[in-house]
Amino acid sequence: MYQYDQFDHAMVAARNAEFKDQVERRLKGELSEDQFKPLRLMNGLYLQLHAYMLRIAVPYGVLSSRQMRTFAHIARTYDRDFGHFTTRQNIQFNWIKLADTPQILEDLAAVEMHAIQTSGNCIRNTTTDQFAGAARDEIDDPRPWAELIRQWSTFHPEFTFLPRKFKIAITGATRDRAAIRVHDIGLQLTDKGFDVYVGGGMGRTPHLGHLIRSGLPGEKLLSYLEAALRVYNRYGRRDNIYKARIKILVSALGPQEYARQVEEEWATLDQAQIDAPHAEIARIKSFFPQPAYADKAFDAAALDRAKAADAGFARWVRNNTLAHRRDDHVSVTISLKPTGLPPGDASSAQMDVMADAADRFAYGELRVSHEQNVILPHVAKADLYDLYRLLDQNGLSSANVGKITDMIACPGLDYCSLANARSIPLAQDISQRFADAELTDKIGDLQIKISGCINACGHHHVGHIGILGVDKQGEEFYQILLGGRADEQAALGVITGKGLSAEAVPAALERLIKLYLDLRTDETERFIDTVGRLGRDAFAGALHEPA
Amino acid sequence: MKLLTANRLTDGLVLWYAGGPDLSGWTEDAALATRLEDEAAAALLEDWKARETEVVAPYLVPLLDENTLVKREYVREHVRANGPTAGQTAFDTARQHQRGEVF
Repeated sequence: MYQYDQFDHAMVAARNAEFKDQVERRLKGELSEDQFKPLRLMNGLYLQLHAYMLRIAVPYGVLSSRQMRTFAHIARTYDRDFGHFTTRQNIQFNWIKLADTPQILEDLAAVEMHAIQTSGNCIRNTTTDQFAGAARDEIDDPRPWAELIRQWSTFHPEFTFLPRKFKIAITGATRDRAAIRVHDIGLQLTDKGFDVYVGGGMGRTPHLGHLIRSGLPGEKLLSYLEAALRVYNRYGRRDNIYKARIKILVSALGPQEYARQVEEEWATLDQAQIDAPHAEIARIKSFFPQPAYADKAFDAAALDRAKAADAGFARWVRNNTLAHRRDDHVSVTISLKPTGLPPGDASSAQMDVMADAADRFAYGELRVSHEQNVILPHVAKADLYDLYRLLDQNGLSSANVGKITDMIACPGLDYCSLANARSIPLAQDISQRFADAELTDKIGDLQIKISGCINACGHHHVGHIGILGVDKQGEEFYQILLGGRADEQAALGVITGKGLSAEAVPAALERLIKLYLDLRTDETERFIDTVGRLGRDAFAGALHEPA
Repeated sequence: MKLLTANRLTDGLVLWYAGGPDLSGWTEDAALATRLEDEAAAALLEDWKARETEVVAPYLVPLLDENTLVKREYVREHVRANGPTAGQTAFDTARQHQRGEVF
C-alpha cells in the first residue's frame, strides 16, 4: 500500500495543528459556531443527532493491520467501543468529544490517516473495488490511479468549494464492484485506458452515469478530470442545493454537449503541467506490488474433509470467498452483518481480531467494501480453516456475503441528523426474519439496500430490493423499490406501491421472496434475473397484499 | 408547552433545559426537562443561542400536552431523547437513567 512521503506527513501535520488551534479557539469562545462549523466539517467532524461524529477516510478502502488497530484504539479510548464502516469505504465514530478530536487526528496521522475532505463540497475519498490487486477478473489494478487522484484532489485549490460534494469511483475488473455508474465520475479501466462515465448519482434525483470518453490514456487522467471538474465548477447549480450535483448539469446540457465542453476545456489546459509524469506514475505503482506470497502446501483433500466435518465452515467458504489471481489463494470477505446486529458495525475487540487475522493470514492487509464489510484480499487456501475458527470465536464468521441478510444500511435516524426514518432496526428485523442459513442459501444472491432518507447513503436506488424510509406526518414509512443493481448492468430500482410501516416490511419481503422462489426457472436464476424476466409488476402484489 | 434542548459544546451530547441560570441547570435525561410556557421558552431560547461556549444548536421541542410531542417531530425527538434504538451502545439513555423511555 502507499506510504506517506515527507509532503504527505507535512501537509497532514500542518492541517492537524491548524485544526487543534481552531478547536481551542472555539472552546474559548474566540470562534462562533457559525465560524467554526465549516472548519470542523473540513476535518470530518459533524454534529449529529446525539453527539459529534468523526468520519475518517480509508483511501480507496485499503488499510493495514496497524491502521485497523488504530481504529480499535479510537473506538476504545474516545468512543463507545465500536465504529461504523460506511458505504463510502470510510469509518465513522459516533460519540466523539470535540476536545478529543485533535488528539484523535494526531493518532491517525501517526499511521498515515486523516479525516480531511470527508465532508464539504470537495472531491471526497475515491472508492474502488475491494478486491483490487487480487481478483481473478481484474484487467488492471485501480489502486495506483486512486492514489494518484488522492494526491491530485487533496487540497486542490480550485475544487475546494464546488457546487456540491464530488465522488469518484474506479474499477479495474470486468465485474463492477465499485458501483461506478452511480458516482459523479465513474472510471472503468480497460486494456485501452479509461472509460469515463459522468453524471451518475443517487439521492433525490437518481441518474446513471453517461459514457463521455473511451480509451483515455492513464497518463492523461488528471488533466481530463481537471477539465471535467472545471466545467462542473463553472456551470453547476449553486442556487439550489437539490440541483447542484453534476448529474443535474449533465442532464440539463445533455451528455454530448457536456462532453464537448469538457473536450474544449481540456484542449485549453496546459496538460503537461497537470498530468503526472511517467516516473511519478511508476513510483506510485511501486507501492502496490503483489504480496510476497507464502508457498504453503495446499491439501485440497484436507480442505474437503474440514468442510465435510463442519457445515458452517463449508457455507462460509462457499459464500465468503472469491477466486484469487493465484490458484492457491482466495480473497475472504468478513461479513459485518451478523443476525440481528447493525450492518457495518464492529467493536474494538473485533477490529483487533481482524487486524490479527490480517497479520497471521493475509500479509497485514485489509480492505473495506462499499457493502460495509471487511476484506482480507490475499489468503492462502491452506489457512482457511484456521482463519475461519479465529473469526468464528469472535462473532465474525457470518456466512452470508451477497445474500439477503448482507444488507447495506445507512445509520438512519438512530444517529443521523438528516434522516427521516430509522434504517438499523428495520435491517435487524429483516436479518432476524431471514436468519435461517439454509433459507438464505436457497434464496441465493440478493442485495437489500436501506436508506433512512432521500440522500440515499444506503444506496436504495441500486438494491435488488431497495428500501427508502420516509416521514409521513411524524410516522415512519418505507417505500420498496425493485430491480435496482449497482454492477456492470447498473439499473435504478422503481418504487413499487405505497409505503409500508416498519412492522409490515419483513412480512412483505417474505411474501416477495416466496413468490420469487415459486417463479424462478431454477435455483440458478437470481432474484434480480427473475424480476428482469417477468417485470416488477409481477411482484408488486406480493408486497402489498394483506398479511 | 415546550422543551428546550441543545447539544453540549464540549462533547456534543444531547442536553435538556431543567432550570437554572447556567449549564449545571441542564440535564442529559429528557425525563427531567422543564415544561416551559411558550413565551418563557422563546425568551430562554434567545438567551441560550448567545451562549455558544456552553451549548450548540439550541431549539424548542413543542408539546401537545405534558408528555406528547407534536406528531411531525415525534420519531426524531423520541430517538434523540432516548438514545439510539439500535446499536452496540451500552449507554442507552433510558438504561443509563434506570427508567423507561421518554415520550
